[in-house]
Amino acid sequence: MTKILVVDDSSTVRDEVAGFLRRNGLLVDTAVDGKDGLAKLRANPGVKLVVSDVNMPNMDGLTMVEKIRGELGNAAVNVIMLTTESSPAMKERGKAAGVKGWIVKPFKGDAVLETFRRLAG
Amino acid sequence: MTSPVVGEVGEVSEVGLVSKMLVLGARDEQLPLLARVCDEHNVIGVVVRHEDLPSALAEHTDLGAVLLAGDYDGSPAANDAIGAKLHALRPELPVILQLTDRRQHAALPRVLATCVTDTPESLGSALDEHVFGVTLPDALVAGIVEITTARLRSLFPTLEIDVAPPSVVRDRIIFGDAFSLIPLEGAWCRGYMLMQAEEEPVIAALDSMTEGDGRTADFRELNSVLGELTNLVWGAFKNRFLNGPAVPAQPLVQVPLLINHRHRYISFGSDNPQLCFRYRLAGPGVERDVVIDQRFVFSLNWSPEDFDDSGEPGDSTVCGEIDFF
Repeated sequence: MTKILVVDDSSTVRDEVAGFLRRNGLLVDTAVDGKDGLAKLRANPGVKLVVSDVNMPNMDGLTMVEKIRGELGNAAVNVIMLTTESSPAMKERGKAAGVKGWIVKPFKGDAVLETFRRLAG
Repeated sequence: MTSPVVGEVGEVSEVGLVSKMLVLGARDEQLPLLARVCDEHNVIGVVVRHEDLPSALAEHTDLGAVLLAGDYDGSPAANDAIGAKLHALRPELPVILQLTDRRQHAALPRVLATCVTDTPESLGSALDEHVFGVTLPDALVAGIVEITTARLRSLFPTLEIDVAPPSVVRDRIIFGDAFSLIPLEGAWCRGYMLMQAEEEPVIAALDSMTEGDGRTADFRELNSVLGELTNLVWGAFKNRFLNGPAVPAQPLVQVPLLINHRHRYISFGSDNPQLCFRYRLAGPGVERDVVIDQRFVFSLNWSPEDFDDSGEPGDSTVCGEIDFF
C-alpha cells in the first residue's frame, strides 16, 4: 500500500524525489498537481505522508492541503511542503492548514530520509 | 569572418556588465583609440570587414550595438548602403555613426543612425546611453549569478560551470531549441525571465548522469529540466529580491509577447535591453558543452532606485532542510 504521495507538476522533481524514496525501500505514488493529488488521496486514504510543491497548475499545493483537511476530512496524513517558496505569509498559511514542515528546494534526500521514513510510519 | 576583438574585458570587474558591438569600417590607426573607449565603457568591440558583415551578423546574435566608422569605404554612398542594410536586418540594434566631423552627416541623410559622434567623449556617452541605457545594480547582477549557479549545480552535479561576463543585449534573437518564460512581479520591477538551451547537449548531459540504468532522455526531459531550473531560479530570485512590499493590488498592466518562430525572434513589447547571462557546463561524458542562456527583461516596470536585496541569500546552503512548525 502506498505510504507516501509526492505531488509536483515537474516530472524532474517527481522522478528525483520518488526515485530516491523508492531506492530506500519506501512505497511511493506521484501526482502532477493539487487536483490529481487530492484525487489520489481520496482513492488511497491509507497514505501516511504527502510531500507537495506549492506552485502548480489546476490546484496549488496549499489549496490541496486545505481541501485534504476540509473536504476529505483527513486530519491524520502528515504533509511536508517541498517548494521554492519561503515567504512567511505562505508558511503561515501552510501551518494553519496543518502542514507539518517546509522544505525549500532543491531536494536533499539524505537530509530528510529518516524523517520521511518516520512520518510515513 | 570577424577580426580580433577590440577592447577586451580584462579591466571590467568580475561581475561588471559588458555589451558586444560590431565595429565596421574602422581603419587600423583608429583601433587603439577605439579599444580605449570600449574598455572604459565596458564594451567588447568586434571588428568586421565590409564583405564579412552578413556572416558576422549571423554569428553574433547577442549584440548591443553597431559602430559604423564614418569614412567607411571612403564614400557617403557606401555608408548610406551599409546603414540601410543594418537597419533592415537588425532594426533593434542602435547604430552609432562615428564621423571625423559632424557636418559630414549632412551628406548621409539616409543612414539611420541612432546617434552621431565625432569625439572619443561623445562616443563614450553614446555607448552609455544607447547601449546600456538603464541602471542595473551590481548586487542584482551578482545575486543572479550566485542563485543560478547554485541551482545549476543541483541539477547537473557532475558538470563544471563557467559563467561568462553578464551582458546587455539589444538583439531580440532566440537562442537554442527550447526556452522557458516566467513572469517576475515585484514592487520595484516587473518583467520576465527567459531560460534557453540547445536540445542535444542537455539530453547528452542527462544521459551521462543516468548512465547504466538503461534510460535515454528525449526532448521531454529537456523540457522538464529547463522548467525545473526556471522554477528554482525564479523562487530564489523572488525570495531574495522581491520580498519587500507586495505589488499593489490594482489591475496590472500587461502587453503581448511576440514570438516569430521562422525568424527566431522574440519581443517583449518594449525597447528595454535584455540582461543576459551565459552558463557553460562541461564534464566527463559530455562531448558538447551545455550552454544555458538566461535573460531578464524588465519591460513592465523598472525602478532600480527601489531595488531591494534584503531577502534570503538564495545560495542554497539553507535549502533542503525541513523547517518544522
